[in-house]
Amino acid sequence: MNGRLRAMLRLFAVQGTWNYERMLGVGMGYAAEPLLEDLKAVDPVRHGEAVVRSSEFFNCNPNLAGLALGATARAEYEAVPGAQIVRLRTALCSPLGALGDELFWAGLVPALVGFALVGVVLGVRWLAIVGFLVIYNAIRLWTSYWSLRTGMETGMRVGAAIGSSWLPRAIERVGPAAGFALGASIPAVAAWYLTGFGWAAVVGASGVAVSGIALTRWFGPTLTTVRFALLAMILLLLFGRIGL
Amino acid sequence: MTEFSPHIVVPLLVWGTLVGLDLVSVPQAMISRPLVAGTVAGWLAGDMEAGVRIGVLFELFALDVLPVGAVRYPDYGPATVVAAALAAGTPWELSLGVSAALGLVLAVLGGLSLQVVRRWNARAIQRKAAALSAGESSAIRRLQYGGLLRDAVRGFILTLLGLVLASTITESLLVDRRTAVALTLVAIGAALSAGASAAFRSSGRGDRLKWLVGGLVVGTLIAVLA
Repeated sequence: MNGRLRAMLRLFAVQGTWNYERMLGVGMGYAAEPLLEDLKAVDPVRHGEAVVRSSEFFNCNPNLAGLALGATARAEYEAVPGAQIVRLRTALCSPLGALGDELFWAGLVPALVGFALVGVVLGVRWLAIVGFLVIYNAIRLWTSYWSLRTGMETGMRVGAAIGSSWLPRAIERVGPAAGFALGASIPAVAAWYLTGFGWAAVVGASGVAVSGIALTRWFGPTLTTVRFALLAMILLLLFGRIGL
Repeated sequence: MTEFSPHIVVPLLVWGTLVGLDLVSVPQAMISRPLVAGTVAGWLAGDMEAGVRIGVLFELFALDVLPVGAVRYPDYGPATVVAAALAAGTPWELSLGVSAALGLVLAVLGGLSLQVVRRWNARAIQRKAAALSAGESSAIRRLQYGGLLRDAVRGFILTLLGLVLASTITESLLVDRRTAVALTLVAIGAALSAGASAAFRSSGRGDRLKWLVGGLVVGTLIAVLA
């Protein structure tokens, strides 16, 4: 297995040592190890410095971490001054975080989950769930491969490569898809659950839903949706006990 | 829950551990999404219908989570596994509410346990600070494997605790039919509010909002026709 493939596989565990001090830092160091192996024979001192730099503070979306990993590994082989490599790592944190989060967490995942929920409601359960897993992981695998390859090919010029890549365009397209899928899934799931209950039950559940939307919006981060749900259940049990 | 026997509990513990690991550490293949975790857990417990119903419910809650940066959020994976196991073998209209209540408490505990693991990871790194400063690759490897192990133990303990609680609830909790159905309706309403809140918040006021409204129209048609 070559170093690049091992690094890519290790990137799947890049958040394995996630913490509030170095965040993904140690995971990046772990993924960088196979890429930096050849440097050990060429320049052992530089290799030691590169290993130290590779595990310092770093944070971004894990699916795009390969861009930073590949770029910094190439820069180490090109003997770019260490301070410049540290600056590159720091500079990449925010854009890779923003682009990756927008693409995956705010776009692709809700879009695929929304379509999968509609699929479940329409009765194609396993197909919807397996389809969700296959499509997500295929896109993610390809993105990881592309990220590492692009980082390795461009090195210190990785910023320009990201700007002219497919990423910004994909984000523009996946956002509306996520909105549509989520929009379609909510009423479909509501009907799927509530069909078979009487009208009073439907009105009651709808009342809880509308109250939840309003209260979690008004009371912001203090009253999360989970807290609202638990509070509503506790109130139901209390009212039931006192006979209301 | 149909029964609390080893041939059901052991696979659920393994599945809960894998699901717990998948959320953050490895491989983030989305098996920790409640829809997936719940369906498989229901199948393992011998009642896939219950697993799907629980999975969809918790998926609506999970849509409200945006795991960016250092944000703190509940861990719905092992919670969904346990809730699906608790709901298995009982008509979902009666079991969904009680299972959801247990699952939501576990999800909150799961979120707190993530913070604990992250603090332990930081302490382990501090202990190896000298080795990291010296560029020792072996120290990085040990830290990485230690972090993965801590997260696996977290998922295992969370699932085990949940299954013990589920077993206790099965044996001792007496809820009349009317209250059980009412709890189910409250859980459905709260989950729908979570999903709708997430959908509207993430849509903003631009193009995505128009697509959301379009989706709502299509979803309503599906609801009427399906």
